[in-house]
Amino acid sequence: MMTTPPAQFSCVSQPRRVGKQLPWLPRKNRECRGGLHVAAACLTWKRALHFCLGLVLASLLVPGVVLAQKGQPTEARPVTGDWLISHMLSDPEQLNPLTSNDAGASSILSYIFESLLKRDPRTLELKPHLALARPEIAADKLEYTFKLRQDAHFQDGRPVTGEDVLFSIKALKCPLVNAPFARVYYESIVDAQLLDPSTIRFKAREPYFLNENVLGGIDVLPRHYYDPENFLKDVTVAELASDYSKREEQVRKFAQNFNENYARNPMGSGPYKFKSWSTGQEVVLERDPKYWGTGKEGIDQVYVDARKLRIINNIDAALVNLKAGNLDMMTLQPLQHLRQTSGGRFEKDFAKYEYPTPSYTYIGWNNAQPIFRDIRVRQAMTYFTNRQQMVKTVLFDLGQVVDGPVYRFRPEYDEALYSHPYDPQKALELLGEAGWKDTDGDGILDKEIDGQRVPFRFEIKFNSGNDIRKSVALALQDELRKHGIDASVRALDWTIFLDDVRNHKFDAVIVGWAMSVNEPDDYQVWHSSQAANKGSNMISYKNPRVDTILEEYRRTFDANKRIELYREFQHILNVEQPYTFLFMQKAVTAVSRRFQGVEVLPIGGLRPLDWWVPKLLQKYSSQLSAQ
Amino acid sequence: MISYLIQRLLLMMPTFFGITLIAFLIIHLAPGDPAELRAGGGLAAGGEGGLSTQRRGAIDRALQEWRVQFGLDKPLHVQYLVWLKNLFTLNFGVSFKDNQPVWGKILERLPVTIKLEVWSTLLVYLVAIPLGIYSATHQYSFGDQLTTFGAFVLFALPSFWVGTMAIVFFGGGDFFYWVPPGGLYSVGYSPNWPWWQKLGDRAWHLLMPVLMLSYGGFAGLSRFMRSSMLENLRQDFVQVARSKGLAERLVIYKHVLRNSLIPIVTIMASIIPGLISGSVIIETLFSLPGLGQLSYDAVLARDYPIIMAVFTISSVLTLVSILLSDLLLSVVDPRIAFSRRTA
Repeated sequence: MMTTPPAQFSCVSQPRRVGKQLPWLPRKNRECRGGLHVAAACLTWKRALHFCLGLVLASLLVPGVVLAQKGQPTEARPVTGDWLISHMLSDPEQLNPLTSNDAGASSILSYIFESLLKRDPRTLELKPHLALARPEIAADKLEYTFKLRQDAHFQDGRPVTGEDVLFSIKALKCPLVNAPFARVYYESIVDAQLLDPSTIRFKAREPYFLNENVLGGIDVLPRHYYDPENFLKDVTVAELASDYSKREEQVRKFAQNFNENYARNPMGSGPYKFKSWSTGQEVVLERDPKYWGTGKEGIDQVYVDARKLRIINNIDAALVNLKAGNLDMMTLQPLQHLRQTSGGRFEKDFAKYEYPTPSYTYIGWNNAQPIFRDIRVRQAMTYFTNRQQMVKTVLFDLGQVVDGPVYRFRPEYDEALYSHPYDPQKALELLGEAGWKDTDGDGILDKEIDGQRVPFRFEIKFNSGNDIRKSVALALQDELRKHGIDASVRALDWTIFLDDVRNHKFDAVIVGWAMSVNEPDDYQVWHSSQAANKGSNMISYKNPRVDTILEEYRRTFDANKRIELYREFQHILNVEQPYTFLFMQKAVTAVSRRFQGVEVLPIGGLRPLDWWVPKLLQKYSSQLSAQ
Repeated sequence: MISYLIQRLLLMMPTFFGITLIAFLIIHLAPGDPAELRAGGGLAAGGEGGLSTQRRGAIDRALQEWRVQFGLDKPLHVQYLVWLKNLFTLNFGVSFKDNQPVWGKILERLPVTIKLEVWSTLLVYLVAIPLGIYSATHQYSFGDQLTTFGAFVLFALPSFWVGTMAIVFFGGGDFFYWVPPGGLYSVGYSPNWPWWQKLGDRAWHLLMPVLMLSYGGFAGLSRFMRSSMLENLRQDFVQVARSKGLAERLVIYKHVLRNSLIPIVTIMASIIPGLISGSVIIETLFSLPGLGQLSYDAVLARDYPIIMAVFTISSVLTLVSILLSDLLLSVVDPRIAFSRRTA
């Protein structure tokens, strides 16, 4: 039920009050719109059910939408026009798709640039976008051949060709381009060649099923715009990946131009054109009226004429802006959601949407630590952790308990995982089995480990300034004290914390991981080889079966087989409890009710991609003033 | 006068280098690695479930690559010397964040900060000086006590709180919509508007921030003015003027006020550094892209070139303003002559 916001149900109870302009409308129109809202509310309800059952949604949902639209003669079809003004906390760093490195920029750039493949926000499946189809993969699983569609063009009207795709990978691989952190993710791509002007073949270093995802996700940049002198013409990807010294002059010239001159003027093939950016105030994108994908099947359509992202770094002022009508969309803080945005006036103008963010918080037990080497002790720790209570009191109910590392909307997610309840009795039994007893009567459990009497005493570390992690640590400390376990709590400055965690200097840590909305691959976190050399297996988890599964998983190109492997992997983690998985947090976003087609998507929240505003509710003139 | 000026300027040099050296050391020794921050913290932002050992290695290499690019791999004293060398050509380098020249980023934000500071200073003087005069001429009266009390109450109210309250109550949320809740202009702002509409929109947006910036300054300046006036009122020449039979109005506004303004004029020079440092709190509250915000963000992101540039410029301005107030003093008060003092 988690994904359906309560505010949406209230659509049913007061469906007729959509916007301020309504009283001026003829009565007939009002009723029509009300009807549409009821239909939309029912749809979301249906969708919520789907989420719970973990089914693929799109198959049932899409016909549903069509039906609802057919039932409404007026405003049934999405129309263009109006602006969407949304809130951004700070300026994007820059808008060069390769050298920018922040979330704000990448969300803006995703409207301006397109890639060969795209992930469907509803089904989370890869589907062709600038490519005609998903790539042909050679038998050795090293070569990936993409054919481009012929009808796509950039925002200046020039067609998207294989040359542009080739240029994009060259720019990415170019060691002098100031994108060292993005480049890391393309290390495994060693060569690329054009077979004909619209066919490109990539070569990877090793067979790995996620290569397709990596290649399909490269933003395609117009060569004629980003490298007008064509400096990289004779430089090959293989040279850039290994040794480019022969053509250093050209590479240097290209990189200098690319690094310096494209920070604030992006141009791609996407549905929105970059219009302006006034530092500290707003970024404006304008719908490209000549967008190549307009009306094409399989391409997401856009209707809102302009997207303005207003930069307001004071979250309280942003909420006032929202209420004053200067913003149409804003992500709310938990307390703003609970205390400041209820009541008829707000709900008349705005609908609130709750959705899980794809990341989880966990307590990592150092598996190399003598106390936590024992599976039973780790299981007991999870039984001691009252996760439901934490979601309620620490997250204000804006969260959900998780039992494994896989995002719940992925097909790999295992529904059958056991969710450890809060059960101190069971935990104490497990500790007793493991040999923990208070033998010296000092009130703290102890046990003989490796010939020494060890008291059950350990430290929980987390990064200072994170109140959620602090509350979790304190709640657990409190619970453990009641049962004769002495846990101390320590907040560390982020850099120092990071250093301790990477060097395994901890008993227990509270941290978080992002969850993949793509096909997951947790090799980095759970494979035993990753415990050394500052890998992400900080807790030194070692299980030979998990190692085998993770290795095989990466080489498996059959999706069903992969799901099977991954479920077994989740099951092992579920039993061994190397982490105590805590929760995913939920975000709440308020959106003006004049927007239609707003829905919570499995890919992580709201995407204002195909939203639209009925003509009569449109608030801003369709023409963006020349700025 | 000239030799005094040269002497003062020479004395400023070691002070200036001392300031930059200390600032440089503090900034670079503060915990937090700009490279790690650029890489997104590495742990929580490791992307899809963390970093493999191989990828960790690649990230470490990328971090090193990045440090070399910005010269952060060199020992600290070398970095300082490089920075000094660039300073002589007035080159503050490029921001870590977007590779753009620091100068450009500062100039972009300068107008907002200057506008805020100039208007709020003007307001402070316009309100505080008459207030001070009134208090001095009506010493110990009810009016004096009321204005003094009022000024001190305002002085004691923290601007972040008053500002937030102002936004919440007057910014168009659940209460009144008298002023915009931040920003420089309205959502529908268009350059095609007639000039008076554009001007009105801008002024409307600056109103609350300027008020918030100035109200705290009333107390200090009006008290200053009051004591200066009182001091002069007790002087012999005032008595002489009165005994000559001059009207009280003339005594106050011609003789006393002129002499009392001397210290006020000199402290005016101290406004100059404020022009660049800006106000972090007000700019953040009202989402105004000024220099205060820029330097605050730069500190959080450990964007050394920007921090150092803002710091250097404002310390130069501080030094200059101190010198300027000394010089101004001699201009408004002929009794002070530097040549004699320095001789």
